[in-house]
Amino acid sequence: MSEGGRPPSIRRRLLLFLIGSLVLMLSGAALVTYLVAENAANNAYDRSLLDPVLDIADNVKVDAAGAHLDLPKKALDTLVFDQVDKVIFQIRSPQDTIIDGDVGMPAAPPSAAGETIFFDGTYGNEKIRVAALRTPGGFVIQVGETLHKRNRLVGEILFAELASTLVIGLGAIALAWLAVARGLMPLEDLRSELLSRAPRDLRPLTGTSAPIEIAPVISAFNGLLEHLRDANQMQQRFLANAAHQLRTPLAGLQMHLELLLRRDLPNDVRAESERMHGATVRASRLANQLLALAKAESSPDESRALEIVDLRAIAESAARDWSREAVRRRIDLGFSLERALILGDPLLLPELVDNLIDNALRYTPAGGTITVKTGCSAGIPYLSVEDTGPGIPVAERGRVFERFYRIAGTPGEGSGLGLAIVQEVVERHTGTVVIDAHDEVSGTRISVSFPPSDGTRADAARFTVPAAQY
Amino acid sequence: MRILVVEDDALLADGLIKVLTRAGHAVDHAATGRSADQLLVSEAFDLLVLDIGLPDIDGFEVLRRLRARRSATSVLVLTARDAVEDRVRGLDLGAEDYLTKPFSVTEFEARVRALLRRMVPPEARWSIAGLKVDIDAKRVKVNDKPVELTRREWTLLELFLTRPGRVLSKEQIAERLTGFDEQLSPNAIEVHVSRLRTKLEPAGLHIRTVRGFGYLWEGADE
Repeated sequence: MSEGGRPPSIRRRLLLFLIGSLVLMLSGAALVTYLVAENAANNAYDRSLLDPVLDIADNVKVDAAGAHLDLPKKALDTLVFDQVDKVIFQIRSPQDTIIDGDVGMPAAPPSAAGETIFFDGTYGNEKIRVAALRTPGGFVIQVGETLHKRNRLVGEILFAELASTLVIGLGAIALAWLAVARGLMPLEDLRSELLSRAPRDLRPLTGTSAPIEIAPVISAFNGLLEHLRDANQMQQRFLANAAHQLRTPLAGLQMHLELLLRRDLPNDVRAESERMHGATVRASRLANQLLALAKAESSPDESRALEIVDLRAIAESAARDWSREAVRRRIDLGFSLERALILGDPLLLPELVDNLIDNALRYTPAGGTITVKTGCSAGIPYLSVEDTGPGIPVAERGRVFERFYRIAGTPGEGSGLGLAIVQEVVERHTGTVVIDAHDEVSGTRISVSFPPSDGTRADAARFTVPAAQY
Repeated sequence: MRILVVEDDALLADGLIKVLTRAGHAVDHAATGRSADQLLVSEAFDLLVLDIGLPDIDGFEVLRRLRARRSATSVLVLTARDAVEDRVRGLDLGAEDYLTKPFSVTEFEARVRALLRRMVPPEARWSIAGLKVDIDAKRVKVNDKPVELTRREWTLLELFLTRPGRVLSKEQIAERLTGFDEQLSPNAIEVHVSRLRTKLEPAGLHIRTVRGFGYLWEGADE
């Protein structure tokens, strides 16, 4: 984007160019029309201007009194009369003296004897058109008229011409607009395909129907996506391997610390060992969470096919895994489970439930209550975990999904990764996660809802992507 | 009991061997998949504690060969890899239980105990905290005093003692008890559990309700 200005737009450029050239061409056409109309008007009216010239020439007499116009006043008035324009005449002698007529008329340009000419001039402050004839006797007879009816004719022709030009012009602009819009449609399609993508979807763009002008862009973009995919996979493999490699030594460390703690130890040694044990357990948990995150993050094209999964079964499995820990922490962990079928990854969903329960257990004080619910609400499958802990302030609710984010001043030893994992898994299932309060004032309820599954394999097949070798 | 620990990490293997030896078992150790496989061919073990990530052939392969030989040895799989995937694969191949690294000593001991108890011949006697169980005679003693159990309570007790993790869903219990009653309502299950609970409390054993799900056994060893 250029600084301060609007970004360049293909549509605007094309339209400016097309409309600009159209306006220029139509203006040219209008000018030509004007000249042609003026010429046509002159042709039509010059002829009628010539008639009185010839009549007057016939009646110029030369006798003893000299040259004079021998025509009764009434006849002359008829000759030089017009309903619209003022008509004037003038007769000049061969010596260029005005014999009769209007003295204000301009002199005719020189011409040969017997020749008729037409010229434009001014009379007073009006433009006039003049027809002039130099008789064989050397007299110059000219009749002129103002331009009103000529102008009116030019105006009429011009109006008719311009009206149709305007219609054609507007039509052309509209067509140009449509053509540009149609021409840019593949770009629009590309845009909506990109917009509708899941954030981590690095599969290549299809663009099979893309015109050859856009195809290179798509193929370059796909090249970039492939690089990203490779980099992404490498990072995930690294993270997964690192987490694996960490687990075994941590297991050994934890085991020996626990064996040590079973012995009779001096108080200070016991305290130190307990702290080391706590740190080891935390490090293990972190390794597990990093692994879960790497797994949830892996882009869809390398994951297994989604299956019809009952959230209830996932929650039941969590009930087995977490009940003992809840009893140990003196927290009432309960379940309210109804069938909730979704299209899901059966290996990722337990991570989601585990982290939600783990999170609730961590932040709920002893004596509190946690309830895990699954079911369908208005046809939408959901899973929620609510607790009677301190709750998450409204201002923090957006941020708690960030990695390593922990609410300032909260006790406990959370890594800040649990809800980030939840978020990833939800995204992978194009679900939504909402945090609100357990009741009006306190506690936390985190609800995850998923796109409903009609429970058929056909539906599943639509979302199936090639499974990688595990 | 005779136990084979297959684990290539020296520190962890050492810990596992210590724990099992202290519990009174005869423990052998193999650090590679091949040596484990050879040991399993030539000798009989009651329990195999099997790591999946081994330097040569992996734990899954050791397990596959073991089951191909129709060995009855119980197998507890240890995995550092993704828990759910390995759990599914391990259990498919015939492992009895699995543990994801790292795990607590208590957890490990509980799993081993549960596995060994499952293989104990029926005439064996069990003893947990203040509870003594004589399977053969179907007799139970709490703090050395005989306690009468109904058939359903007896089945419930067996169920708790043989399930790894010892968390039972109401469905699981209903499935096992349906043989006695045509219809068994959740309330009826509650009644049976509650009676067993009352009888076991003095022994220091607690059956806790997991709201909306089922029950959890809390004993001295958990």
